[in-house]
Amino acid sequence: MQLNTEFMRQTLIDVLAGVPVTLKLTFVTLLLSAPPAFWIALGKTEGGKNRGKISGVYVSVVRGTPVVVQILFLYSLLPTMLNYLIKNVFRLDFNIFNIDAVWYAYIIFILNTTAVLSEVFRSALLAVDGGQLEAALSIGLSRRQAYMRIIIPQALMSALPNICNTTVSLLKNSSLAFMMTVKDITAIAKVKAAYGYNYIEAYLVILLMYVILCSVVQGIFRLLENAVSVRRRAAV
Amino acid sequence: MLEVKNVKKSFGDNQVLKGIDLKVNKGDIIVILGPSGSGKTTFLRSLNFLEKADSGTMDFDEIHTEFSNASGKVIIKVRKKTAFVFQNYNLFQNKTALQNVMEGLVTARRVPRKESEERAKKALDKVGLSGRYDYYPYQLSGGQQQRVGIARAVVVNPDILLFDEPTSALDPELIGEVLAVMKSLAEEGATMIVVTHEMSFAQEVASRIVFMDGGVVVEEGSAREIFTAPKEERTRQFLRRIIRDYDYVI
Repeated sequence: MQLNTEFMRQTLIDVLAGVPVTLKLTFVTLLLSAPPAFWIALGKTEGGKNRGKISGVYVSVVRGTPVVVQILFLYSLLPTMLNYLIKNVFRLDFNIFNIDAVWYAYIIFILNTTAVLSEVFRSALLAVDGGQLEAALSIGLSRRQAYMRIIIPQALMSALPNICNTTVSLLKNSSLAFMMTVKDITAIAKVKAAYGYNYIEAYLVILLMYVILCSVVQGIFRLLENAVSVRRRAAV
Repeated sequence: MLEVKNVKKSFGDNQVLKGIDLKVNKGDIIVILGPSGSGKTTFLRSLNFLEKADSGTMDFDEIHTEFSNASGKVIIKVRKKTAFVFQNYNLFQNKTALQNVMEGLVTARRVPRKESEERAKKALDKVGLSGRYDYYPYQLSGGQQQRVGIARAVVVNPDILLFDEPTSALDPELIGEVLAVMKSLAEEGATMIVVTHEMSFAQEVASRIVFMDGGVVVEEGSAREIFTAPKEERTRQFLRRIIRDYDYVI
């Protein structure tokens, strides 16, 4: 067996065009998932009854189903449902079937990541000693100030490794966006491969590509962690 | 200055406070003694709403409120008039000693940063930590951490300082430095309510001693009255046991 290196070189160049799509899918999703995830985590740790229950159901549904199934289901459901709403409820003249599939990818990945991140944040919030909140309240800080200035900074510090995990698995899961015709790294490689049956070469290229991307993400998080702990140690 | 009446609190079926009254005048050093589980700490925490008492009333200067339905505004007001020193210090782990002390000024009271820093430094100097401004809590010994805790409480000029067993988590060698700081505060005329097991501190510094057991105030009086001529059998029992242990250790 011989690898077609010329094909691999060409595929690499083509696949590079998909890197921004993959990265955008990862980091926009991450940024947009963080606030609602935090809100859910807070609802659970603070013991708000209904909020805790509803978010509990949501989190277990998302965690209890494969991402592939979520994509298949929502990608079938959402366009039809939205079309119905637009045509019959809002009575707008707008063709939902023309919008870019990447929006559906965002919706599905955000729904998924929010659930995962909410558990990451919840465990991080629980890791902050309860005395920290009491001390903040006792010197006259409002609850909000106490969270913003004392609790969240500490929680984030301990959440960093898990946020890194979430980011990496989101980056990898974003490859499933090809199922929704989004032209990310995986989608481009699949098309290239199918053209001349060079499956092994094409997949080898993106395999390496994912390794590199994930390593970069992990490296960035390692730097972040170091920065945080250096700042804590700088005083010595 | 502060008067609370009939403070009651239950955790489930367990009634921890069965109607506590306490009156505090400016300059009072009130020491609350009592066995574990007598409700001392719960009572102290109720005073600044870290624990929500089920019933009772509070008159604190111009503030008048029921414990059961105190509004968020009133609670913050009371917290700004008091300061709390915790058994396990509870210093903000993500902030230096100086930032710990400044936080209550800058964030809660909107004091300008520069003035806050000066006041915070002065407070740290007073507790003997002038060289430790930029140390994080984990770089300080227990005694030093507790002294930062006291500086954090003192710096906001509270009307009443609340101490919850401030030396219980310290090893014997470090207790002295914390008690010395508390003693000097008392001499400067600070108003304090102290829950402690340090009998010698109670004897020397307290202007009034409150002995609690089983969720009620058993006896109240001057240090001399309580230590030399307690009226109640329960007080006598407690002191006998504590002071014998004390002798035994020495």
